[in-house]
Amino acid sequence: MKPSMNMILKKYNLLILLLVFIVIASILSPNFLTVSNFFNLLQQASIPGIVALGMTLVIIIGGIDLSVGSVLAFSGMVASMIVLHFDGSYGGIIIGIIAALLVSFVMGLMTGILTSYFKLPDFIASLAMMEIARGAALLTTNGNPVFGLGERFNFIGGGFIGGRLAVSAIFWILLTVLVALILKYTVFGRSLYAIGGNKEAATLSGIKTRINYVATYIITALLAGFAGILTASWMSTGQPTAGTGAELDAIAASVIGGASLSGGIGSAFGTFGGVLLLQILTNIMNLVGLPSFYQRIAKGLIIIFALLLNKYVSKSKAK
Amino acid sequence: MKKKCLALLATAVMALTLAACGGNGNEPATDAEVNGGAMTEAGGDTFTIGFSNRSADTPFFANMTFIIEDYAAEKGIEVVAINANNDVEKQNRDIQDLLQRGIDVLIINPVNEEGPSAGIRAANDAGVPIITIDMNVASGADVWVGRDNYNMGYLVGNRLIELLGGIDATGTVLEIQGAAGSTTMMARRDGFNAAMESVPGLTIVQSAFSDFDRSRAIPATQDLIQAHGVDVVAIFAHNDDMALGAAQVVREQNIENVLVTGIDGLMEAVLAIQIGDYQVTASNDPVLLSHMAVDAAIALMNGEDVPDFIDAGTVIIDLYNVDDYADPDLDFATMVGN
Repeated sequence: MKPSMNMILKKYNLLILLLVFIVIASILSPNFLTVSNFFNLLQQASIPGIVALGMTLVIIIGGIDLSVGSVLAFSGMVASMIVLHFDGSYGGIIIGIIAALLVSFVMGLMTGILTSYFKLPDFIASLAMMEIARGAALLTTNGNPVFGLGERFNFIGGGFIGGRLAVSAIFWILLTVLVALILKYTVFGRSLYAIGGNKEAATLSGIKTRINYVATYIITALLAGFAGILTASWMSTGQPTAGTGAELDAIAASVIGGASLSGGIGSAFGTFGGVLLLQILTNIMNLVGLPSFYQRIAKGLIIIFALLLNKYVSKSKAK
Repeated sequence: MKKKCLALLATAVMALTLAACGGNGNEPATDAEVNGGAMTEAGGDTFTIGFSNRSADTPFFANMTFIIEDYAAEKGIEVVAINANNDVEKQNRDIQDLLQRGIDVLIINPVNEEGPSAGIRAANDAGVPIITIDMNVASGADVWVGRDNYNMGYLVGNRLIELLGGIDATGTVLEIQGAAGSTTMMARRDGFNAAMESVPGLTIVQSAFSDFDRSRAIPATQDLIQAHGVDVVAIFAHNDDMALGAAQVVREQNIENVLVTGIDGLMEAVLAIQIGDYQVTASNDPVLLSHMAVDAAIALMNGEDVPDFIDAGTVIIDLYNVDDYADPDLDFATMVGN
């Protein structure tokens, strides 16, 4: 059977959209399609990409996590303060990273328990956690940034391999592949789709929904916390205001990447593409020098366009 | 059906949150922070200052509360401080609460110029004198203790022109912009550009608004360097936090001979000037500013004549005088004692 135009569109809609964007961007600016800008883009997208990856998991299970930006900030503050305390030594960096991830783990655990065992709406539970984590991040230093973290700590979030490939981008790519494998080949991964698709049916078929819920929120918080460590490392500064609004970019990227806010649908590679798409948008508008206000309008319009296209394509998929 | 509703709700609240994110004040509402350090100084009548601070999520604003409390305590004056979390409505309610507590004079760091008008009116009606600090309000204040941000931008611009070789300098200067609509941003931008006009060979390229935030300034700088590459001779950011991000990009990409400048006298920037990674900043010392506001309050309470505007002044910090200001224990370079 000859593959129809419609089938190609169905399977690769995001990829096609990305290609269209890249072509338009290349025409608009001679600086876009260069090797250095490609690596530049990868680095810029890596931290939001890791946050969005976690968001996708929560969206697949049918929830939402508004606390990721605040968890990112709190985790980054914890890591920076410990790294500074140990004068940026390797031991201090390891302790800092472990402590930051532990804090993120606890945050995710709390949101997970509130939403599953206490049945609070995801939206409200994570909103409360967003406030708590942001307050805690500000409280650590009374709102001051922590600086002077040293060259060693700078490597994981701000280092480059071969002078070009950002270490953070490598983390992003590896984590995306890892999450994609988990979603496709593990019982846990498949349970997420089952729960998000139909919670009652999933429970009846013997899936432990509550445990899965808690685990998902923990993974999402750990990814946000890791992104926080990378952010602090990248800027060589712990900023209590870091990640403000990061949850919204993560939700937008997940949905552009095909995830559905009603749960049950979403993919790691789709989100990878969604993050890249949003980053290319900002990048190209900066390269051609579009004034700031127009940038925001254009960004909103293109998000709408991408979503409409997704909707059209997924509708024809169902036929 | 239930799920659909939830998804709809999610989208609606997302839109709301987006709209509210402009002021990036999302921390929980911590209320009245009271300091009762009233050790009366010999002779003077003691009174109570109410301080309505706009937020505690930047070092500049967060420090202001502690500085005012400490300095007032030295003078034997009690301070009741409340923080509005960048929320104009909360600031109006905060002022009402302060008046209820029976303060004698109000110091206010407004969220914006028009916002706290209801609170200002209430204070006027109660006969409580008002001192605005940092930013002024549209009307109703007795004294404004602030800084000339236009002048700060102008002074940094002039110093940068000297460093670039004077009137004959050529090349592209990147301007990393603060928050859209901010009066501070506009004043610094206009002052800087007024200085730059005298050098026809310099082209200014403005970035997207980066909200005075380093993590937004770094990608903006990366993209502008991508677009303008070898022509870039200098970068000016509307605050030091963003300029430090720009300096990081310059360092990471091993670009030579790009001068980096900002405003605020953030200690991290001052220390970077010492090692040559950064060239110029203008002091925006919160200590002197806060001390002058408390002094103005004392003068008002003593019935002295106080001018409408008190300029807390600024000073250019560069390689020549940086050692006078570098002190790793402080958050900002201070002009007190210098």
